[in-house]
Amino acid sequence: MTQFSPNALCFGEEFPASGAPCVVQIERHGLTITFESGSGDRAQEMVPFAVFAVTAGGLDHDHLVLKWGEAQRARTLYLKNPDLIRAFREAAPDHLSQPFEQAAERVRQVRHRHRVMWGAVGGSIVAVALGLWFGSDLLVEMAVSRIPVEWEQKLGEAAYRDFLSHQEVMKEGPAVNAVEEMTQRLADQIPNSPYKFQVTVVKSDVVNAFALPGGYVVVFTGLMKKADSGEEVAGVLGHELNHVLQRHGLERIVKSMGVMAVVAIIVGDQQGLIGLMRQVGVELLTLKFDRAQETEADLTGLQLVYRAKIDPSGMITFFQKLSEKDEGRLEWLSTHPVSSARAERLKAELAALPKHSSEPFTFEWKTVQDALGVQPVAAP
Amino acid sequence: MRSEILYPGAFPMVRVELASGEHIKAESGAMVGSSPTVDVESKMEGGFLGALSRKLLTGEKFFFQTLRASRGDGEVLLAPTVPGEIVILELDGVNEYMVQKDGFLAGADSIVIESKMQSLSRGLLGGEGFFILKIGGKGTLVLNSFGAIHKIELKPDQEYIVDNSHLVAWSATTSYNIEKAASGWVASFTSGEGLVCRFRGPGVVYIQSRNPGSFGAWIRQFIPVSE
Repeated sequence: MTQFSPNALCFGEEFPASGAPCVVQIERHGLTITFESGSGDRAQEMVPFAVFAVTAGGLDHDHLVLKWGEAQRARTLYLKNPDLIRAFREAAPDHLSQPFEQAAERVRQVRHRHRVMWGAVGGSIVAVALGLWFGSDLLVEMAVSRIPVEWEQKLGEAAYRDFLSHQEVMKEGPAVNAVEEMTQRLADQIPNSPYKFQVTVVKSDVVNAFALPGGYVVVFTGLMKKADSGEEVAGVLGHELNHVLQRHGLERIVKSMGVMAVVAIIVGDQQGLIGLMRQVGVELLTLKFDRAQETEADLTGLQLVYRAKIDPSGMITFFQKLSEKDEGRLEWLSTHPVSSARAERLKAELAALPKHSSEPFTFEWKTVQDALGVQPVAAP
Repeated sequence: MRSEILYPGAFPMVRVELASGEHIKAESGAMVGSSPTVDVESKMEGGFLGALSRKLLTGEKFFFQTLRASRGDGEVLLAPTVPGEIVILELDGVNEYMVQKDGFLAGADSIVIESKMQSLSRGLLGGEGFFILKIGGKGTLVLNSFGAIHKIELKPDQEYIVDNSHLVAWSATTSYNIEKAASGWVASFTSGEGLVCRFRGPGVVYIQSRNPGSFGAWIRQFIPVSE
């Protein structure tokens, strides 16, 4: 007697739930199914092709399922062996090949769906990773737009007070009046601004000006001495005010705090965020804007100056002047990398705007400079 | 090879008698004791990559251990880590079982174990993870569970619903879908059942009477939090 090596499972009323192992042989007119009882006796059953119903089944739809009989005599046969399935397909008469192909098609569909699903998951993971990599600016903008202006003001004010406490502040005089007038003219052109701009003149030979989040602007007397006209200083102010308006400082802070902060803001975890902001608040003064932010502030600054009917060419000449080699301490340059390309871009932008007449300031720039103690340069 | 379950109940142990030269594979760390004739070998089932993928993907131990009666007849005692019942199945070469990753305790050397990726929805929601063990071949298979083990027998097209984290093993002839326990999503989760698996026969489903995840959550509240 040969060894009994089953190749299929048969299910039915009298068989165990896990199925009865059996040997299936494909014959010309049907299947021969051999069972072995516990005592080793074998029983054979011949089932003609005519009675079968064909489907696919099993956990992964990789079994060929043959059903026949009714009620108590109902039988279900599960075939898994690929060779056996192939042999069945070849031997099966025409009326079975259609359901067989349908079952095969269904298996292919299920497998295809699994591949598509896994592909979609893999694809979306890659997309999210790429999105985070390239779209971080967008996320940062989303996060920044959710920070209330009051927070921004508190943050800026703290840094502002801290900075001014170490500086000699110019309280009054023609320079202060001039800067206030410029700021007023610019701010008038920003309708519905949530910020109340506060500009302070600091006595220092440093050629610099900066803006803190919340509308706190600092202009150094060094910059005012360097400028040849009020319009030049106004150009710098227009640029700085736009850093505030576009919330560039917050964007930098949020970026330096990282993705966790962005997530905290978007989901509204304000407690965690305040803690994070305290940590970086100190670093506000050393904040550098990136190239895209500078360009944005340049262009919007130019438009603001233009709307305020301040001669925009002042802004351009000042940028050009700064890009020339100079012996002075041009700190504005270190935070605002000036290239001649920048002035060129502004020129091009200005050319696109319709010409209109500028209104001069009420102050004499010479008076301002005299008050600052600028020695008139002797004409060569 | 002959195996019997000692102390059936919550804290059982399996005694496997090995004839000289016979060997079995067992979950690494499962051996409790053995005759001096039995040698323990560590073996990476399916080669290094197979073992690595099993470790990374199913979280199953990297090595199975092989227990070989190399110097004459002997016996081995095996026990699982968690309290719970043990069941011994005789695989006939045709029946294959899907086993969730903690369910395998030991098996004859002739059984075949592979890691298998589930479909996305089953992997994500089924509670067994994306990878499960597919065990086939011919010989003895020893499974363990958390809590008591219960066998559900399904006739062709008969259906049964099982909470997703109570699964231990199921035959490859069954199929299942993940669905919500109640008709609405909110009701599903507030009922504490969440997602369930709807099994369809024919075949056998082994389930465990305790949910390891819930037990972990329950016991966590008694663990002092270190400052």
